Amino acid sequence: MPSDILLGVDNLGVAASIGGRSKVVLDNISFAVSRRETFGIIGRSGSGKSVLAKALIGWLDPALSVTGGAVSFDGVDMVGADAAQLRAIRGRRIGYVGADPTTVFDPTIPIGRQIAEKLRAVRPEVGHKEALDRVVELFETVRIPDARLRAGELPSKFSGGMIQRAAIVDAMIGGTELLIADNVTQPLDVTVAAQIIRLFQMLRNEVNTAILFISSSLPMVKNIADRLVVLEEGRVVERSTPERLAAHPETAYSQALIAQIPRIWSREMAHPAVKADAATVLSVQDVKRNYRVRNQRSLFGSVSIQAVRGVSFDVKSGESLGIVGESGCGKSTLLRLLTWLDMPDAGRISFDGVDLGKMSRNDRFHLRARLQLVLQDPYGSIPAHWTVGRIISEPLRLHRSMLASERRTRVTDTMVEVGLDPGLYSKLPVGLSAGQRQRINLARALVLEPAILLLDETLSALDQTEQTRLIALFERLQSARGITYLFISHDLAMVRRVCSRVAVMYLGKIVELVSNEMLFFAPQHPYTKALLSAAPTLEESPYARDDYLVEGEPPSPLLIPAGCSFANRCPQALPVCRQQEPPVHHLPQGGIVACHLAGEDRVT
Amino acid sequence: MTVIDADFSEALVADEKELSVARRIWLETRKSPWFTVGLGLFVVLVLGAFLYPLLSGADPQVMHFREKLLPPAFAGGSWAYPLGTDQLGRDMLSRSLVGLQISFLLALAAVVLTFAVGAAIGLYSGFHGGLTDQLLMRVVDVQLSIPPIILAITILGVTRPTPALVVLVLTLAGWPTYARVTRAAALGEREREYVRAARVLGASDLRILGLLIAPVVLPPLAFAAVLDLARLMIFEATLDFLGLGLQPPTPTLGTIIADGRKYLMNAWWVASLPGVFLIVVLLAVNMMGVALERARNRVLGGL
Repeated sequence: MPSDILLGVDNLGVAASIGGRSKVVLDNISFAVSRRETFGIIGRSGSGKSVLAKALIGWLDPALSVTGGAVSFDGVDMVGADAAQLRAIRGRRIGYVGADPTTVFDPTIPIGRQIAEKLRAVRPEVGHKEALDRVVELFETVRIPDARLRAGELPSKFSGGMIQRAAIVDAMIGGTELLIADNVTQPLDVTVAAQIIRLFQMLRNEVNTAILFISSSLPMVKNIADRLVVLEEGRVVERSTPERLAAHPETAYSQALIAQIPRIWSREMAHPAVKADAATVLSVQDVKRNYRVRNQRSLFGSVSIQAVRGVSFDVKSGESLGIVGESGCGKSTLLRLLTWLDMPDAGRISFDGVDLGKMSRNDRFHLRARLQLVLQDPYGSIPAHWTVGRIISEPLRLHRSMLASERRTRVTDTMVEVGLDPGLYSKLPVGLSAGQRQRINLARALVLEPAILLLDETLSALDQTEQTRLIALFERLQSARGITYLFISHDLAMVRRVCSRVAVMYLGKIVELVSNEMLFFAPQHPYTKALLSAAPTLEESPYARDDYLVEGEPPSPLLIPAGCSFANRCPQALPVCRQQEPPVHHLPQGGIVACHLAGEDRVT
Repeated sequence: MTVIDADFSEALVADEKELSVARRIWLETRKSPWFTVGLGLFVVLVLGAFLYPLLSGADPQVMHFREKLLPPAFAGGSWAYPLGTDQLGRDMLSRSLVGLQISFLLALAAVVLTFAVGAAIGLYSGFHGGLTDQLLMRVVDVQLSIPPIILAITILGVTRPTPALVVLVLTLAGWPTYARVTRAAALGEREREYVRAARVLGASDLRILGLLIAPVVLPPLAFAAVLDLARLMIFEATLDFLGLGLQPPTPTLGTIIADGRKYLMNAWWVASLPGVFLIVVLLAVNMMGVALERARNRVLGGL
């Protein structure tokens, strides 16, 4: 190998010793990263990726130790290096960015000053002013708008995507030769994650830095890495390039990994068409909800957050409607309104034609048996101090009077239906997997045989295998019982698989509501296109990121600009977009879109 | 509403299978040697405190003027007075045990009341929030700003202290802390997803508080209350010591210590033995409390 190898890993082994016993965590890992190369490491959670990242910089947890092999960084042996040698390398020549950027910064010091201080700690010869200028320059490189202004702000003013950019600057400030990026896109929304990926592509080309990009998702690594290794249970199972791995995975593990990556643009996916004469189960008409929060700048004043700004849609019996959108788009508030935990300020929600707002308390109570909710968090959404049977029987206790023995039969029947072992009936949820917990959640919702099921990111905490199983279960329940689903999700691939119609929400409004086929093959709204371009898939997306991905982040719901709320990020915004709220166009193919660019002046 | 409430009471009489969470914690607790030792000590002392005065026939009030300040049996005294006598020739063992019995009963009553009042107010305040919460918490602040000893002097100094008044003082001094801790925990629990799930199902506030929030919030606090029993026994002894508690001739740990302090140089046992009893009881209570809490954490998977 030529001498321009920056990082060499040779037969590295790491073991954990817990209570006298030791367990191999990493075994026989070898790879080399050249200068200016971007090298990918992929593997599922628990495959040893993060341990590897930390082993490389001599930062292992005390319970872990290197059992063999060598790591050399530019000729320095990182395993045998003493603290002083490591200090000379870490932060100066190697930078590290992790998955949780919020903990990188001190919340009480302006970000720019923190990073400048770090630079001065590494290179004391740099002056204060000079250091800050360097930070601002790098902020511009990572596309933080108003760099000089932002550098003076506290970390709490930064959104998730922005703070991740600042964390990247923080890692690179010392003029690093190697940047280790460990799962950096994990906590971010899809469009923001796609922006960060694009940022890494740019850094690769423009900055003189080698990047070690660690991720659990091949689509994330695909556009960045020159070469990659696949990690499984602490071993390298495959070495490849992203293209070769995507096209011809050689090992069974890689094949499984690739098979699980969702596909969006294959046409053959069939969605049971909804009967045209199906009754409307749930109808939402121009629903609005504002929240008042205290204005910190005045004694008694308050400011209004417009969480939901006029949402209308109908859900027909037996259909699956998807609502997609990123964090802060009003999905959660909408869900609170639909489940009547909170009341709309304006508009009406009706169930089976009856306005919820005009129902008596008692009627609404009985209605709850027909409309059930399955929440996202498999851990938080079931009480830890109740047995599984008790949890699932709770709806029956509330809504049906029956003998304890009857109830038990119903509960165990439902458990079997959702794929839970009835033997779990008297067990506590402790130790159950996320998938089993989500089944408990689902069983609790199904035990009353509801007409409509609201699923709030129900699958997002599960791995692909579990997701696939639960989706199959949803489909089976729909054909057997005719249940109507409302999926609320940020996961486009999931929505593509299960929904017949999809609504896209942005900043409290529905910007597009069309059939599944239309949404993915003929999207109208620029935001929909941006979402589609950002979806992490291996397929060739018809919506190239360079053309459709938007910059920036949604405006704050406190200060919604006049006109179209998407105008400030929209690549095609016209002057009219900044002045007038776009009207809702009814598309000839069915569905609606709220955009000045769609509708009459478009050729359809 | 009536429908829900009827069902609520039905759910409280849950069938046997589902009560087993508490049972599992109990079974787990009993495995702990700490619990066994603590329980053993506790039972011996409490039984002793209640039974010894009855069985031995030694009257804590009877004075034997010729047998003043006799040392305990282990320090050269006779077995007629196993722990010696005080300055009036009264039997120290029976006096200490009766004192312990009084301190224990008063502290127990105070702990139960403190816990009940504090937890009820805290749960209500934290769960409801809003103006009620604000008002209740200001009351808590006011109460907390009054030092317990001043409270005791104000109430007990101007009246003739009765057991009920002593318990009242102990409760007044203790409830705000419980209210605050419970409120904070209830506030956090209220926002949890499983509470939302229960609301969507149509569970009433009372049901959510009683069946979901209280069983999560209260056990750790109840364990803290067990440990607090010890603290309140000390506080009660302090009141007695200062002459604010139950008055002589009733033997209490505090008055025995207060009286014995004058004879510390030549009869150390009078002032120190009640203290030793107190320490042993506290140790026993702590051991049980800790074992119980650890068992709960193991069963529910917290630790």
